[in-house]
Amino acid sequence: MTLLHGFVLGGLEVGAVSLAAPLFNGIIRKGKARLQGRAGPPLFQLYYDLRKWWGRGEQAAASVSYVHWAAPYVFLSATAGALLLVPIFSSAVPLDAQGDLFVLLGLLALGRAALTLGAMDSGATFGQMGSSRELALGALIEPLIVLTLIAPAVAAHSSTLSGIAAFGNQQGISVLTLGWLLAAAGFLVVLVAETGRIPIDNPDTHLELTMIHEAMLIEYSGRSLGVLHFAAALRQAVLALLFVNLFFPFGLVAHPGLGGYAGIAALDVLKLVVVALAFVVVEMLFAKMRFFELAGLLGTAMLVAGAAVAVTVVLA
Amino acid sequence: MSSVWLIVGLAGLVAAAGAAPVPKRLSLWMTAAASAILATGTVLLVTEGTTVQIALWSPAPYMHLALRFDALSAVFALGIGVVSAAACVFAVGYSRPRAADDFALPIFVLAMVCVVAAANVVTFLFAWEAMALSSFVLVMGDGLARPRRMAAVLYGGMTHVATVAVTGAFFIVAHAAGSQDFARMSAVGGRLSPALASVAFLLAVAGFGTKAGLVPFHVWLPRAHPVAPSHVSALMSGAMVNTGLYGIIRVGAGFLGPGEAWWGVGLMAAGCLSAVLGILYALFEQDMKRVLAFSTIENVGIMTVAIGAALTFQAHGLDALAAAAMVAALLHSLSHGILKAALFLGAGAVQRTTHTLSLDRLGGLARTMPVTGAVALLASLAISGLPPLSGFPGEWLLFRSLFVLGGEPVGALTRMAALGALGAMALTGGLALACFVRLSGISFLGLPRSQEAAQAHDGPWTMRLPLLGLGAMALAGGVAASVVIRAVTPAGEVLFGQRGVATSGASQRIVDAGGGALSLLVVAAALALTAGLAWLGLRLYFGATRVERGPIWSTGVVFRPSMQYTATSLSKPLRSFFSRVLLPERRVVTEFHAGSPLPKVVHYSGRVPPIIEERLYHPARSLAIWSARRVRGLQNGSVQLYLLYIVGTLVVLLVVTQ
Repeated sequence: MTLLHGFVLGGLEVGAVSLAAPLFNGIIRKGKARLQGRAGPPLFQLYYDLRKWWGRGEQAAASVSYVHWAAPYVFLSATAGALLLVPIFSSAVPLDAQGDLFVLLGLLALGRAALTLGAMDSGATFGQMGSSRELALGALIEPLIVLTLIAPAVAAHSSTLSGIAAFGNQQGISVLTLGWLLAAAGFLVVLVAETGRIPIDNPDTHLELTMIHEAMLIEYSGRSLGVLHFAAALRQAVLALLFVNLFFPFGLVAHPGLGGYAGIAALDVLKLVVVALAFVVVEMLFAKMRFFELAGLLGTAMLVAGAAVAVTVVLA
Repeated sequence: MSSVWLIVGLAGLVAAAGAAPVPKRLSLWMTAAASAILATGTVLLVTEGTTVQIALWSPAPYMHLALRFDALSAVFALGIGVVSAAACVFAVGYSRPRAADDFALPIFVLAMVCVVAAANVVTFLFAWEAMALSSFVLVMGDGLARPRRMAAVLYGGMTHVATVAVTGAFFIVAHAAGSQDFARMSAVGGRLSPALASVAFLLAVAGFGTKAGLVPFHVWLPRAHPVAPSHVSALMSGAMVNTGLYGIIRVGAGFLGPGEAWWGVGLMAAGCLSAVLGILYALFEQDMKRVLAFSTIENVGIMTVAIGAALTFQAHGLDALAAAAMVAALLHSLSHGILKAALFLGAGAVQRTTHTLSLDRLGGLARTMPVTGAVALLASLAISGLPPLSGFPGEWLLFRSLFVLGGEPVGALTRMAALGALGAMALTGGLALACFVRLSGISFLGLPRSQEAAQAHDGPWTMRLPLLGLGAMALAGGVAASVVIRAVTPAGEVLFGQRGVATSGASQRIVDAGGGALSLLVVAAALALTAGLAWLGLRLYFGATRVERGPIWSTGVVFRPSMQYTATSLSKPLRSFFSRVLLPERRVVTEFHAGSPLPKVVHYSGRVPPIIEERLYHPARSLAIWSARRVRGLQNGSVQLYLLYIVGTLVVLLVVTQ
């Protein structure tokens, strides 16, 4: 991929996913409300909220430093950078020749660093509490991400996400071997954990003591808060896209042509709606787990991912 | 050309030692200048592609002290030079003048350079001992404080036991080569039986691993590194541990390679253990410099994994991939040296103004000490291996190497070991992020937890300048990674005949032998572009925001700094997640008011015990003391008895040799 091609595709992908990400969030909220017998907020509620936050002034603690102001933008750009490594409109990704899944891992960690440092900047107890929990979870999630992505990568003999997606598309349905499916199952836990959803975290909570992600935003207001919420919605969409287009990359070709891009985009939307509905069902069926029991859940997922790697190595 | 720079640098270090009694810290300035000259010389040497030999002195037959700088030596000497230049300038403003220290410091730097550039066994061991003794002097300092004496003695003892193992390894290799010249000793492993070669390898790993701080030989490191003055800590953690890794590389890959297949796998396992345990223990330390010392053990573990991967590739004849893994180790050692120096010097700057290193007495230093705070934050992010900073390229190459090893036809067990190591490295990365966000977040962000922290300030320019320089390198080492890699790849050629990693063009793109590509410059540009566009777009569309300063939200009560998280509470979730490994101790005693269910005082004490010390070293120490007591019976002071021993030994020897 030439630099110009990458630049154009990257711009399009960042723009399109940015536009769609709040809607993805809206579908989950609406679906959940409906299943609970409530009317729920409008589908486009997050767009209204974002416009409100972005246009408002900010209140910040007297004790904050530059970290507080920089953190939301670093979190946002790290998430957007991760997006540039994920196959979305074709199996080829904008940063094809500049990064791979290890860079994706690094960018997710960079986002986590920005979020946790920003939360600790004011000295607010709740922010530090959120950071403490997020860091502990992050330490367990990172090996989980690597193990779940490594199994398909070993099968595809490539550590780039485009290489894995192209391999999966080329193999067709026969790519869904035991190792591949176990890895996908493990990645589902990553998806839930990284997007702060039940049973790991509760995005709708308003009780400080139970929060993880929301606690880290507690000292933010106005535009910075809007940027953080937007980046979180973007991260949710990016990880969902990573899940569907990496483990089920059917139809993703490297050079689809104009009509092909549109077709893949429509397929992406369909896949995302399915994932959103899956989120809704999970949130309906499970309660949030106690924080100190999460190590068990993540440990189990890690065992599943380890099994995926072992099966892939032995059978492939 | 490079030889002139190297000789001037070495002579400058000798002269600096001689200038120790001169006032105005002349010897420190001279050490800094000589180190910078040496570093320049190594860079020139690599770009020229030459090898420089310097004969020093031949005091006796069979004893030639000589240096030989090849590309591998140059990489390590470069790291030593850079760290030393920064540390010595820092020391001018930071340390109190004391002739013994000002004498030992240049000798220490000189000895380290001679260790990595030694041309034969005698020179190596001579420099190795000089390095141990001079650093012992620096750790001991005035020796007034008991912890300092204890740490220095433990360090001195362990380093000498390690020297025995190192000598043994050299003896086996030199015997097989029929020469103690390093140039003749390379690739003699084939002449040894696999068993003897393995013994030499294990001796080298144990001996050099002690100096590097590899678990379980690490126990001296978290004691000795923190008690030394900060510029010495920077040199020990940023440069000296690398000499141990240099030894493992030189002996394991250079002299004995290609070796047995299990060497590399064993080294990877040891590295994973060091990395995970090192960073786990770092997470529960309250003292800034002890956190950094444990993180050194972690980073040594990461480099050991990379060396292990290189040896595994080498054993299977995959030399280009071996070179790529070795480049990962070398790149990581350079980056770690710079970052650890920045963090130790930062800790020194904090200690100098607040008189404490306890995290629970610090806070808010990013505002009171802007330079130190910014550099410490940047170095914290970089040492956690985050893109696009200097810690990332080495980590990326290592991840790639392990991934490629997991896909090569080297046997299912080796492949799974490599991928397991990859998982362990990711866990290490996650824990490192937690550790360094905790370190920098507690001490540099938030509100001051003590009066001293509230009144902290940056040091004089001699302290700020080296910090800024190291901070710039933390950034440049990431976005301009291919420049650094070009200096490192010739070392891969020395060992494996291959460069392993290719670099290309203006985009600073690097391509490893397995075909993976990375360009941190483009990634950084993408990050800057999206962040900048988002900021600008919001500003243009919605206008500038009005910022109001207010209080911190604390559920309605007045917020006090003591309500903040402490260093202990911040890592509490991880302490409970890993309680099966760490076996933390916790004691809560509640005293009640007489005849009342209301508590009067609650005493809490908790700690994460050093398991390896308590379960491995304490029993070993008890055994040693017990056996010494038994042996004491042999020695009752009577001359006749001693004569009897001598005669008895003589008789036994005569009988045996007959």
